[in-house]
Amino acid sequence: MASTIHKLIVIIGFVSLFHSAFSAAQHRSYLRITSQEFTTLPLDIVVQAVVSLFAVMWGVLNVAGNLREIPAAAELNNVRWETQKNIPSFYMFNHRGKALAYNYIPSASKSDLDNIE
Amino acid sequence: MSGIAKSKDNKPEPIAYSEAALRNNAAVVEYCRTSMAALSGSTAGVLGLTGLYGFAFYVLAVVTLWIMFMIKTGPNWHKYYVSRQSLLTNGFFGALFTYVLFWTFIYGMVHVY
Repeated sequence: MASTIHKLIVIIGFVSLFHSAFSAAQHRSYLRITSQEFTTLPLDIVVQAVVSLFAVMWGVLNVAGNLREIPAAAELNNVRWETQKNIPSFYMFNHRGKALAYNYIPSASKSDLDNIE
Repeated sequence: MSGIAKSKDNKPEPIAYSEAALRNNAAVVEYCRTSMAALSGSTAGVLGLTGLYGFAFYVLAVVTLWIMFMIKTGPNWHKYYVSRQSLLTNGFFGALFTYVLFWTFIYGMVHVY
């Protein structure tokens, strides 16, 4: 959500920067037509360009991504015990205790399977 | 996973940094720095700065970006950067070339043609 606002800031700043560039170019052509000497740009173009530069910089700074905390333990502190104790290598799907269940159906022994064919 | 950084004299105990987080932060800073160089170069071209004024504007933009980083992290910047000074000075001249490229290009586009 916050990132959307910052993307909007970047886009608006870019448009404003382009607009100020266009204004500056038009000012130069106006001076050329009226054959005046270029001294400095009008103040409003200068202010618009600098303000939009700062706006785009601030937007890019937030769009670029989040900074992560650099101390080594910072991210390990957030790991929960449920995640830590979960070891997939020790999962067991075929425990012999299931033979004690009341609805247990013994599977066919190996010699029976051989005799079927 | 983690590199051990030893400080030189007055802090005896070493601090362990997460290398992945350091690399991530360096990438973010580099991205912002390159964008800043291109954008401020374009602005300097639009403003029609010439000579040392342009380089002064670059220094202004670098310091502004640094201040923005400080504003973003707030008082506990120690959690994100190893040092503030290197955040200000790292890649100063590398980004300067990008800046000059955009500066001359946009200056030519706006003020010459």
